[in-house]
Amino acid sequence: MRAYELMVIIDPDVEERSIDQTLEKFLNVVRNGGGTVDKVDIWGRRRLAYEIQKKTEGIYAVVNFTATPAIAAELDRQLSLNETIMRTKIIRPEEQKVSAE
Amino acid sequence: MAKAELRKPKPKSNPLKAADVTVIDYKDVALLRKFISDRGKIRARRVTGVTVQEQRKIAQAIKNAREVALLPYSGAGRG
Repeated sequence: MRAYELMVIIDPDVEERSIDQTLEKFLNVVRNGGGTVDKVDIWGRRRLAYEIQKKTEGIYAVVNFTATPAIAAELDRQLSLNETIMRTKIIRPEEQKVSAE
Repeated sequence: MAKAELRKPKPKSNPLKAADVTVIDYKDVALLRKFISDRGKIRARRVTGVTVQEQRKIAQAIKNAREVALLPYSGAGRG
């Protein structure tokens, strides 16, 4: 089991209220695989630094979860199949720590 | 020793130490912006004054931030 952080950019045309449910649906992949979802943070609408799929803004959401590497890969795969998800990124937070001291 | 006396390099202040940062987070755009130029290029360690290890983490964080459109690949539009 490892700690992961997932960032997704959702299509801005999606209604903001329905994001919770959409996200939950995907997060069940983690729960069913024996992992835990620790934190869900929906940033809301934000301007993109460059256009993605001809869109200038997107809805950002950050999810912290713990799961096995296989589950994390499966979650990423399922997210990428959904057309309302513009971009996903999974990172391991521990790799961001500055070592020494 | 003799050589060191010839030209004393000005000690650079480490911007990370000053800000007391222990985790280089790719979501912290305000911090990362200090390490990129106007055109969006990653500043050299020579300029930033951080350690090799820190610079590597910063570079990786900037690249991660670019992937999720938090930072531009290039500055203002083209270039």
